[in-house]
Amino acid sequence: MVHQRRWLVWWPFAFALIPLALTLAIVFTLLRASDLQDFGWSFWGLDVSNYGILVYVTGSFLTAVPALLFAMVIGLGIAIASTTYLPRFLAAVLDPVVDLLAGIPSIVYGIWGYFIVAPFFGKNVFTWTAIHLAWIPGFKPTHDSSLPLIATGDGLALAIIILTLMILPITTLLMRDALQAVPRDLWESGLALGATRWEVTRRVAVPHAKRGVWGAAFLGFGRAIGETVAVFMVIDQASKLPTNVYDGTSTMASLIIGSIDSAMELNPSGVTELHFLCELAIVLLLITLAVNVAGRWMIRRTYTEVAGL
Amino acid sequence: MATSTPLAGLAPEDILTLDRSGHVRRRVAFDRAVGWLLPLLFAVAIVPIGWLLYYIGSQALPGFTVAVITTNPSGATGGLYAPLVGSLTILAVATGVAILFGFLGGLVTSEYLSDQWAGWVRISANVMVGTPAIIVGLFGYLAFVIYFHWGLSLAASGLTLGVFMTPYVFRATDIAYGSVPPHIREAALGSGARPRQYLIRVASAIAFPQVLGGIFLAMAIGVGETAPLYLTTTAVELPPTGLFQPVSALSLYIWSGFQAGYILPSAIRLAFQAAFLLLVIVIGLNILVRLIVARSRRRLQGLFQ
Repeated sequence: MVHQRRWLVWWPFAFALIPLALTLAIVFTLLRASDLQDFGWSFWGLDVSNYGILVYVTGSFLTAVPALLFAMVIGLGIAIASTTYLPRFLAAVLDPVVDLLAGIPSIVYGIWGYFIVAPFFGKNVFTWTAIHLAWIPGFKPTHDSSLPLIATGDGLALAIIILTLMILPITTLLMRDALQAVPRDLWESGLALGATRWEVTRRVAVPHAKRGVWGAAFLGFGRAIGETVAVFMVIDQASKLPTNVYDGTSTMASLIIGSIDSAMELNPSGVTELHFLCELAIVLLLITLAVNVAGRWMIRRTYTEVAGL
Repeated sequence: MATSTPLAGLAPEDILTLDRSGHVRRRVAFDRAVGWLLPLLFAVAIVPIGWLLYYIGSQALPGFTVAVITTNPSGATGGLYAPLVGSLTILAVATGVAILFGFLGGLVTSEYLSDQWAGWVRISANVMVGTPAIIVGLFGYLAFVIYFHWGLSLAASGLTLGVFMTPYVFRATDIAYGSVPPHIREAALGSGARPRQYLIRVASAIAFPQVLGGIFLAMAIGVGETAPLYLTTTAVELPPTGLFQPVSALSLYIWSGFQAGYILPSAIRLAFQAAFLLLVIVIGLNILVRLIVARSRRRLQGLFQ
């Protein structure tokens, strides 16, 4: 009887372990499906025909890091504007617009990016930068004759732009939360000492919200590196390192969705490819897990329940 | 804090007349300039949103008739009845899974676990929120489609999407029950309620709107996902017939419209109409969440004093 009671009391606790169990199930399934196939040292190399992942890792970082930088700078500006400078009614109208960016599905960004932003930026921006900003490393086209190709627009630069838009809401929101949590006392003592709003923001509020800013950077990076469909659609998917910013390349996530079809046909080469994709997915998962743990540890506890970030 | 002047009590002009070197004047001017320039950054968010909504609308709305949502697709022509019903069916299955796992998990974490254990569980839930959708999709493909032999099916895609949505519902539930003020609990238990009565009749009544908001939010995030569905089901032209039959989805039609590229204009038209429907569903759900959260806040204002 007592045993039964104890069991009744304890079994619901199993439900609390669900997130952990699901994460472990994902890792376990990927490990099993990869068959722990040993690709040797070439796995950590640049040779894509020999199952090297370094090209894809590089591609992921080349898209995620610049996108994160842009999103952090713009997001910090928006967060400061909305918490410090804008009248409350205006902030109440404008903040939801940024949140709306988070709600738009990845694939809608992709189709919009591919069919309209790509030709627009290709013709109006990238063609111009290819001619006038060619002195910046990476902005010089490979040949002068590649201008028509640049005018189609899809490639690394466009992927960075679309990714920036996609992670802008998460960085903005987390930094806004952090800035809003700065105690009123600090603000008022700063103002009472004669500092302007900008000086208080720069010397008091932002340093106080430092953890939140770092957390936003980590979580935004985790988002950016895992983004799949939209990146695949605008990056001009190709398994090679880009030679310049207009060139096509591939991220880890976009490679998985791009080559899963051929891996699904379970012929001998497909099986090897599936093993490779699983091992690549494990690497990607480990990166996102590490980044997310770091980010959450920075923020500890925030209440961004409306945006669900 | 936003509206107070830098030098409260004194008019700025008084200070500025004493400011011989112009140092204060420069600082105040810089502050004003920042106040005008920083809000312009909102354009980075507003312009793309407007551009995207306008473009999708302008591509989808001409020729958008009732027939689009009442007829099945055939090849690259026809309507979007099957994908629409398919998307909603997958979403229903996934929401069921997410509520079963996420709600119960969040409830237990918030109400029963000690703070230390709850901390660990919360970290794992938070980390799982950040798992890329493609990895959840790959997991669903390997586990459900291959090992369980379900094939590309409604069951596989619903369960995969459910796994993806679970941590969102989990966190929303945890936060909702955790934000019930302790004095309410003390009052309920002190006036003789059993723990279970407190949980069902008091705490749930207060937390319910927030949980509901979280569920709708998870639905808004889940319905637009493509990667998990692309790996676990395939675009068919008829509405779902059974749990282990393939089922179509709106996002898959957008995907195939993109793959058809510029070659098939009708496939692109279908893709934009699917994108439009998806946007209507997602934005509708988002507005619903805001209404629910705002209403519950207003109703419960007195509780939190």
